[in-house]
Amino acid sequence: MSDQTHVPAGHDLAPGEEEQHSVGTRILGYVVGLALALLLTATSFFIAGTDLVWQPSIPVALIVLAIAQMGVHLVFFLHITTGPDNTNNVLALAFGLLVVFLVVGGTVWIMAHLNANMPPMDQIMRMQ
Amino acid sequence: MLGKLDWSAIPFDQPIPLVAGAMVLVAILGVLTWVVVKGHLPYLWSEWITSVDHKRIGVMYILLASVMLLRGGSDAIMMRIQQAVAYQSQGYLPPEHYNQIFSAHGTIMIFFVAMPFVIGLMNLVVPLQLGVRDVAFPTLNSVGFWLTATGALLVNVSLVVGEFARTGWLAFPPLSELSYSPGVGVDYYAWSLQISGVGTLVAGINLVTTVLKLRTKGMNYLRMPMFCWTTLASNLLIVAAFPILTATLAMLLLDRYLGFHFFTNEAGGNVMMFMNLIWAWGHPEVYILVLPAFGVFSEVVSTFSGKALFGYRSMVLATMAICVISFMVWLHHFFTMGAGPDVNAIFGIASMIIAVPTGVKIYNWLFTMYGGRIRFATPMLWSVGFMVTFIIGGLTGVLVAVPPADFMLHNSMFLVAHFHNVIIGGVLFGAFAGFEYWFPKAFGFRLDERWGKAAFWFTFLGFYVTFMPLYIAGMLGMTRRMQHYDVAAWRPWMIVAAVGMAVLTIGVICQIMQLVISIRNREALRDRTGDPWDGRSLEWATSSPPPVFNFAFNPDVRGEDAYWEMKAHARQQSFEHEELEYQDIEMPRNSPTGFVCAFFAAIMGFALIWHIWWMVILGGIGAFATFVVFAWRDHDEYVIPAEEVARIDRINIEERRSLVSMAGAV
Repeated sequence: MSDQTHVPAGHDLAPGEEEQHSVGTRILGYVVGLALALLLTATSFFIAGTDLVWQPSIPVALIVLAIAQMGVHLVFFLHITTGPDNTNNVLALAFGLLVVFLVVGGTVWIMAHLNANMPPMDQIMRMQ
Repeated sequence: MLGKLDWSAIPFDQPIPLVAGAMVLVAILGVLTWVVVKGHLPYLWSEWITSVDHKRIGVMYILLASVMLLRGGSDAIMMRIQQAVAYQSQGYLPPEHYNQIFSAHGTIMIFFVAMPFVIGLMNLVVPLQLGVRDVAFPTLNSVGFWLTATGALLVNVSLVVGEFARTGWLAFPPLSELSYSPGVGVDYYAWSLQISGVGTLVAGINLVTTVLKLRTKGMNYLRMPMFCWTTLASNLLIVAAFPILTATLAMLLLDRYLGFHFFTNEAGGNVMMFMNLIWAWGHPEVYILVLPAFGVFSEVVSTFSGKALFGYRSMVLATMAICVISFMVWLHHFFTMGAGPDVNAIFGIASMIIAVPTGVKIYNWLFTMYGGRIRFATPMLWSVGFMVTFIIGGLTGVLVAVPPADFMLHNSMFLVAHFHNVIIGGVLFGAFAGFEYWFPKAFGFRLDERWGKAAFWFTFLGFYVTFMPLYIAGMLGMTRRMQHYDVAAWRPWMIVAAVGMAVLTIGVICQIMQLVISIRNREALRDRTGDPWDGRSLEWATSSPPPVFNFAFNPDVRGEDAYWEMKAHARQQSFEHEELEYQDIEMPRNSPTGFVCAFFAAIMGFALIWHIWWMVILGGIGAFATFVVFAWRDHDEYVIPAEEVARIDRINIEERRSLVSMAGAV
């Protein structure tokens, strides 16, 4: 919180700390991010209800838009860049994604197996 | 007005918790009276309770863990006696009380002994090893500690007001749902873990940031002491895994408070989802506990062998491998619950693979000792004891990682013996090794070696006499959590285990005696050099106890084993006598935020447990207001003037000079 004084100047930046950008550039960045986020949100709502595109492609399109939305948030609001100062943030993001993938993927796999192997009693009855 | 709370909550008909609670209350009141009468209260308030100094917070964590170890240990003694006498009889503990004891024992030992102990050690040592003045978020650190203490307080309140969970330490539904556990026991369990879980998460974020962002000049990742690496891995796991616990318990609480059906048998709830989620947290948790212990052993083995750690880079790799693989094995806790053979096989193989990096570590420690000049001081005894014991625990772990074997051994006493083997042999031995090793750093005097060695041998032997019989009882088919039993073949092993428990108790008494004797003889045991063990990392480069700013100058690190190289350098050229230019140092001001926040959290937790809604709102507003006041404060730092820094540092340099000249004379 207050201990950035120990870090030699120009060495490393705390998460979310910006270097040498003026207020104007920063505000511009946020405005662009907000515009993109709004655009993507509006597109999602539009696609969900439209009959202009091939219907089965709608879920795929929504997933793509959702991922793009996450990207916009990461770049414009959470300041994930490819800059050398950002290695920690990128690694943290990668670790987070890996854990989410392992836990969610593993859970889906395990629960599907449990459901297949041990259905509730009424389902067993119906199968007979 | 008071929700579910009335006089029937206090168990007047049960003498054991009542007497125990009364004794604890008398002890607390006694200590409080002594503190107030002797006029120590202002000192305690300004130097400890509101302290944001990472060393003080670390010490308080370890104190909390030690006190709770006595509570959890008492539960263990009661269980061992019960199983020794309850052959074809009811024993002396009625079932509802026995079930509370084993649930409280597990909950306390994991969340309020092992966790605070390792977090305390990390807090105390990591900034010193990194060569910096504090952790990344000092006040948040204090908040984390006090929230953990709040959780511990709520668990202990359940002893005399109401009851504790009877569900086992992970409160599996449907038993923990409202229909089967209508009392407040599960609520005590869940809310105390939610509150202390926030504290743990805060500590985790703080320590990750500290290791990543605050390192002294030249301290590359690959020059960090091993303990810093294991701290990083362990706290990454905290940040990744504890939200799963919080979410799972939140869903259980929604079931219990608002009639949701996440884990119920009815209305589409899925009990298995709870097992899945709780173990997705629970298995990383095992490594959160044991990785810092591995770090302690790395430091201790290297120091007391007088050699650099063997295979440092393989050690780093092994640590980070464990960090990732620990998220791929959680199903092995419920092999028997119906997943198919391919799921079981994959998770079984992953569970065996995770033993590989651990094996790498064991070999590295052995090769560090090989050819070294080994000093068997108390920390080293704990480390060698750990290696022997942990290998046995690890091997039985690989055994139960084989699904067909697990089908035989699941929920048996064999499993109980296995996880005590790794948690006592790994985490607790590691905590004691760290305690003995860093105590002189924290307080400026050594611990008595004779009592320390006695404590080690009694604990070591007591562990084997207690838990080896449990392996055998498990092989003979005894399941865990039995309040009484009728099988004659189990009886002798239960009696042996009770005898072992007595030996373990002697070990604990020796440890307490060691502390008392050492404090009494502190002048004779005083260490003025700051480096009593001939250490290798930077924590030994400053005085003991370190000044509040740790280092007058941030050390300049030029390689692994930073302090060892500095010492070699100094011996060759003797100390430079140039006049050093001291500068003012800014340090964070003490803040009661943590304590006040935890006070309101305690009120809120208690009110939530008893459904006293007005008090919930009061506590919530109080905790929130505390944060607002903290966020809007103006002065968050104070300045230690350069003269003061110089005065403190010169004393340290003088002591060190005389040490070096004495070493030269010999």
